[in-house]
Amino acid sequence: MTERVHISGIGIISALGNNVEANLDALLNERTGIASITRLQTRHHELYPAAEVKLDHNDLAKLVAPKSIRGWSRTALLGLQAVHEALAQAGIDPAHPRTGLISASTSGGMDRSESIYKQLLNDTLDAEQEQYVGTHDPGEHTERIAAELGINGFITTISTACSSSANAIMLGSRSIRSGKLDVAIVGGSDALSRFTVNGFHSLMILDRELCKPFDEHRQGLNLGEAAAYLVLESESHLKARKGKSLACVSGHANTNDAFHITASSPNGDGAYLAMQQALQSAGLMPGDIRYINVHGTGTHNNDLSEGRALQRLFGSAPPPFSSTKTFTGHTLGAAGAVEAVFAVLAIQHGVSFANLRFQDPMTEAPLIPVRHTLRDQRIDHILSNSFGFGGNNTSLVLSAS
Amino acid sequence: MKVRAYITGASAISPQPTFDRDAVEHVVAYTTHPLNVILPDIAKFVDPVRARRMTRHTRMGLMAAMNSLQRAGVEQPGAIIVATGDGCKDSVAKFLDNMIDHDEAVANPTAFIGSTHNSLAGQIAMALNSKAYNYTYLQRGASFPTALLDGLLKVREEGERNVVVGAADVITPDFFRTHRRSWLWKKRDQVDNLEVLQSTDPGALAGEGSAFFVLDSVPSSKTVELLGVDSFFCVQAEDMVGRAERLLAAGGKQPEDVDLLMIGLNGDPAEDRAYDPIRKRFPNATVACYKPLCGEFYTANALGLWFAWSAVVSGALPKEMVLNGRGAGGFATALICDHFQMKDHSLMLLGAS
Repeated sequence: MTERVHISGIGIISALGNNVEANLDALLNERTGIASITRLQTRHHELYPAAEVKLDHNDLAKLVAPKSIRGWSRTALLGLQAVHEALAQAGIDPAHPRTGLISASTSGGMDRSESIYKQLLNDTLDAEQEQYVGTHDPGEHTERIAAELGINGFITTISTACSSSANAIMLGSRSIRSGKLDVAIVGGSDALSRFTVNGFHSLMILDRELCKPFDEHRQGLNLGEAAAYLVLESESHLKARKGKSLACVSGHANTNDAFHITASSPNGDGAYLAMQQALQSAGLMPGDIRYINVHGTGTHNNDLSEGRALQRLFGSAPPPFSSTKTFTGHTLGAAGAVEAVFAVLAIQHGVSFANLRFQDPMTEAPLIPVRHTLRDQRIDHILSNSFGFGGNNTSLVLSAS
Repeated sequence: MKVRAYITGASAISPQPTFDRDAVEHVVAYTTHPLNVILPDIAKFVDPVRARRMTRHTRMGLMAAMNSLQRAGVEQPGAIIVATGDGCKDSVAKFLDNMIDHDEAVANPTAFIGSTHNSLAGQIAMALNSKAYNYTYLQRGASFPTALLDGLLKVREEGERNVVVGAADVITPDFFRTHRRSWLWKKRDQVDNLEVLQSTDPGALAGEGSAFFVLDSVPSSKTVELLGVDSFFCVQAEDMVGRAERLLAAGGKQPEDVDLLMIGLNGDPAEDRAYDPIRKRFPNATVACYKPLCGEFYTANALGLWFAWSAVVSGALPKEMVLNGRGAGGFATALICDHFQMKDHSLMLLGAS
């Protein structure tokens, strides 16, 4: 008999706000976090909008207040902020051998390491820059958060591009189901950096306007930054301490498109398989799903591929679906956890969130997402999609407890 | 009945002649570091035109993964699980150089795509046309042990078969130079790798490498059982003794059963002392090292597992690896104990089946 996996705490910081409440308020009132770039120093700041957390390094550090301020990258600070909120809600002391930390990031402390890269190469680092040597690899932020919280059991970092934190949630759930862990703090963090802005610029998939996923005239994605974490807990552990369940992780699957290193297959094979296998692992039928938080980046390629996969699995009229990247931008390694937090909120509050700015359905796969917040919904089961480079596709099923 | 996990195929690319064989017959001595791998010809594994666009990291990992599958006789793995300490650092450097030198006016999409940390796992999937589970772990010294733990979950708890799991990390000249201070690699360039454990100056021998393993619930001939793996963050060296005893108990073994203790000595005197407690606990085991052969890097413990697997499968161990004079003569139970900078500690347990 495998353990049910409960979610007992959630935490988030994104362009919508520094905590869960602020994010929910923006979502319900259809207020996007995407705007002109004001914080990140990049040549492209007038070209592309993005969803920034509107706190500079010092203000963010003051808000998060780690024990020692030295050497914290923006990714690590954002991460710690969201972990603190999730742990506070769950009411759990993380310093326990059967508690694990599974984080995710695509570019780790790149926001700092790109700014000292040349000085490091030329051996001209000053004392201020010196503290950020070694913040580069994605595992660094996880070590830092674990050390801050006294976690010394199982810690790891998953980096599978834009599905990274959905995969962290899946690994946490599997670790609890198998009895390896009682509690898993799972999620991801990615700060905006010049590296990512220029990388996506080079791929020519950034929209110069605000993105409009699933629209015939979509032009690409907007980048964002965020961190989101969930506390996952086995049913026996939750019951023993009389904790409260917010929702359950009831199914998941990860598949590969095996088509192209950055593009999705035209028929969405990997996406279709991920959704189908996630439903299967939850013991559900497509008709049981009440809301889908789609990957929906706004690129021509993703939305068509995902749209076709939705049609294959759900027919021409899928359940209400939307891309909340229209609010948060694409937060890369954090996206899966951001959207899982939103799924918990959708279940708790009986709402489906809007897919902002949608006007015209795609001619090749005409599907109409949720245009405005739907309230008073009974939401038993949600499907949440996260797809990434390397053909990586993950679907999660979250259910009411 | 409890499902067991067996290693049915393995392949390693290292500074030693490890590729395509079960055991190292002649250990290569080096006089400078970092140690670089002996890279096989990629044309045997992928279309050379496609290979041209691949980074050294991807080439190395792809060949080790494909070869481990071939040696296990597996065409389609049930899952692909990759570990790397920091992935494609050559692509990241190329992209950053370009971006900073041209003040963001020129962007290089190939370097950006190559810098995605899961590009190796994605390339393995594409080479095999595999739609299976595909994960990439980056947790410094814990990268490979946590990936291997995922593989064990897949085989033992989730009924998956033929899971390919492994690790790859490369060293570049810039990375070696710039990380000498934070990593405490030995400051001198002249280092005799096979003498490095006798050195008194701080710092480790630097290296690189890749090892991949196929895990299955059904044993084949020449099979070794993977009895357990665990990793810990920032624990005391003394505490690893109790953790090793618990791992042995969970794997149905007694401490006296351990006849091969593989430890991750890297030539840094302070770091190497952290293995003293575990060495004392297993006084009758053959004690062997592997990092003098491959150098220290985030996922060197994957090569530690390969050398231990090799010793159990072939019954032989190069004398250059043995520390306490006890010779080869067949090994039934091997415990691999590793740490990276005394932060990421791990244990892996193998048994002859």
